[in-house]
Amino acid sequence: MVEVMVPIGPQHPALKEPVNFRIYVEGEKIVRLDLDLSYNHRGIEKAAEERNFIRVLPLLERVCGICSHSHATVFAKGIEEIMDLEVPARAQYIRTIMAELERMHSHLLWLGVAAHEIGFNTLLMWTWRDREAVLDTLEEMSGNRVHYNMNEIGGVRLDLSEKQVAAAQQRLPLLEDRIAQYVDMVSHQETMLIRFRGVGKLSKEEILKYGTVGPTARASGVDYDVRRDDSYLVYDEVPWNVVTDSSGDVYGRTKVRIGELSESLKIVRHCIENLPEGPVRVASTPKMAPKGEILSRYEAPRGELAHFIRTNGTDKAERLDIRTPTLANWTSVAKALVNQNLADIPVIVAAIDPCLSCTSRMTVIDTGTQAQGSISWEELVRKCRARYGMGVQP
Amino acid sequence: MTGERQSLSQRIANWARVKSPWVTVFNSGACNACDIEIIACLMPRFDVERFGILAKGSPRHADILIVTGAVTRKQASRLRRIWEQMPEPKYVIACGACGAGGGVFQGLYHVVGDVGTVIPVDMYVAGCPPRPDEIINAVVACLNLMKEDLARGGKEWRKKAEDTGRKETAPGTGAEVNV
Amino acid sequence: MTALLTMEQVSGALREYGPAEQVRKNRIRVNTDPQKILSAIKAAQQFLDCDHLILISCTDDTGSFGLTYHLTGPHRTVISLAVSVPRESPQVFSVSDILPPAAIYERQIHDLFGIVFSGHPGLTRLMLNEDWPDGEYPLRKDWKPNKANSYGGAAPEGA
Repeated sequence: MVEVMVPIGPQHPALKEPVNFRIYVEGEKIVRLDLDLSYNHRGIEKAAEERNFIRVLPLLERVCGICSHSHATVFAKGIEEIMDLEVPARAQYIRTIMAELERMHSHLLWLGVAAHEIGFNTLLMWTWRDREAVLDTLEEMSGNRVHYNMNEIGGVRLDLSEKQVAAAQQRLPLLEDRIAQYVDMVSHQETMLIRFRGVGKLSKEEILKYGTVGPTARASGVDYDVRRDDSYLVYDEVPWNVVTDSSGDVYGRTKVRIGELSESLKIVRHCIENLPEGPVRVASTPKMAPKGEILSRYEAPRGELAHFIRTNGTDKAERLDIRTPTLANWTSVAKALVNQNLADIPVIVAAIDPCLSCTSRMTVIDTGTQAQGSISWEELVRKCRARYGMGVQP
Repeated sequence: MTGERQSLSQRIANWARVKSPWVTVFNSGACNACDIEIIACLMPRFDVERFGILAKGSPRHADILIVTGAVTRKQASRLRRIWEQMPEPKYVIACGACGAGGGVFQGLYHVVGDVGTVIPVDMYVAGCPPRPDEIINAVVACLNLMKEDLARGGKEWRKKAEDTGRKETAPGTGAEVNV
Repeated sequence: MTALLTMEQVSGALREYGPAEQVRKNRIRVNTDPQKILSAIKAAQQFLDCDHLILISCTDDTGSFGLTYHLTGPHRTVISLAVSVPRESPQVFSVSDILPPAAIYERQIHDLFGIVFSGHPGLTRLMLNEDWPDGEYPLRKDWKPNKANSYGGAAPEGA
């Protein structure tokens, strides 16, 4: 098969990590999708074997800039379980507050990006403006808008002062109001209804078969959420609900994520109002971890995150195996795109909320004519908008 | 200083470049935090588009290339190619600790590290990730550098400063240019 | 959600594959042989209602490689099926026919450890760049970068 590769830059600048898709088509219909993830591979698992538990946490935070707290927390809680440490309640509450704030910022980010893919730029601006309120809270609490570095083995690095708690509480009504607007929007907004309904549909059986996780899976009625199934932090003490939907398409995933925004706000509010007194870390953290092995799971904004950690009595992990939720969801994207149109790619790919998305280079191979061509993300988004009747300038 | 008076069309072109730079961003294997902060610059809170800074997808239309990420081995050659596609005058901003030398990823087996080993860098921005304000500051400093370069007829004056061991003060930031 | 699986249930269902041990309150590990892994997974799916593969973790245990298939289901118990493949000829059957998500995990393990999954639809490069030399598996404990090799990505200095 002759292949023509034309590398073209991302449509919207700085939009996520580059991934290579090789798309096999017959005319405009997609027949198969192959993946190449090496653009972003850095070798973090190997480096984690050479850094002690203090030095490895900032490295793990930077596996991903959007769910950084997730990686640090899942590792810290795994090591704490191996070391048999009793983390104080206040620290767990603070970790939960940061975790849910992170989920909120991530879902708002996704909502904006998904809206942008269909040309609904107003929503992009609104959600990212509201996201700033969440980031302000995170910055006040931790010192940074991204990569909060709040976790330590045995607790959190900083305590929350009265002023910080009061400032966070003041922002919650505004966010609640905005989220209510989005809930209303998703059920009535013509733009979203037309462009998201029926697209990228995956049945419950397909979800389970392809091992999909997170809101993508819950939108097809699969009732798995690690916060409830393998409870950690304070999710078993705080009243909250798992959000599922049965439509299985991009519209369903939108509804699930917006529902999770409301639930996260509830959890943050409850944790802030019921923050227990006490220390924020254990009195002394051991330097070495005993020999052991643990599978630590966490519900990251994109889905189930799993760290498999093996320790050997030293101050470093002998092996750290990370399975990110996006890796689990790629199989379903590849299958969901079969028999769809090229124009559906932006919406379907965005719907799994990939932590690596927006290809910098895509190869399209026509199995029928043996011709090859390359297509840019820009062109695909244009096709997508044309297909759904939206002729707006990007 | 060239001492030559530039033509009218040249002066207009220089003014347009400085007044409305087109920026393109290249992710060379980042964790995405820098990319998200760059997008946040375009959002209502910081809104750089009102300053005339336009974010374009294609390097062929860009004046400034912002590179995020510690350059992975896969992306190094692509980064070089993207940079070569840009027409002169072009400027490179390396974003964050990763761009300066690999950040937390320094020494990892699939990471090359400092963007400066692949393409020449004009501006480094510190931070992990740098705040949107700091990124905007870097773009503005880059514009000042661009103005100075255009007034002096090109980037050669910076190299000459290095060759003669003389340090020049960079316009706008007041820092010493040590290229 | 149903109740957590008990040791009796797990060792009963997977009795012919190996001994079960309760490693955590919601995780039970069964050590088995590489030849039996396909039927062990089928048994877990059939008798223990496991419908979700969490991950396939791979460790370098010096003399061998340890592969663990972590499965779970509505009972929320994690069943870890652990096998060991010899270092000299690391090979095991691919389980991607019965567990489609395994395809991408096996591809990743092959790229980084060099374990061959026979029957896999396509063990092509996933994580490492195209210039990475064949036969070098960075996640193995004894791997060190060889100064004589080029691992790709070394673009010339800027003008």
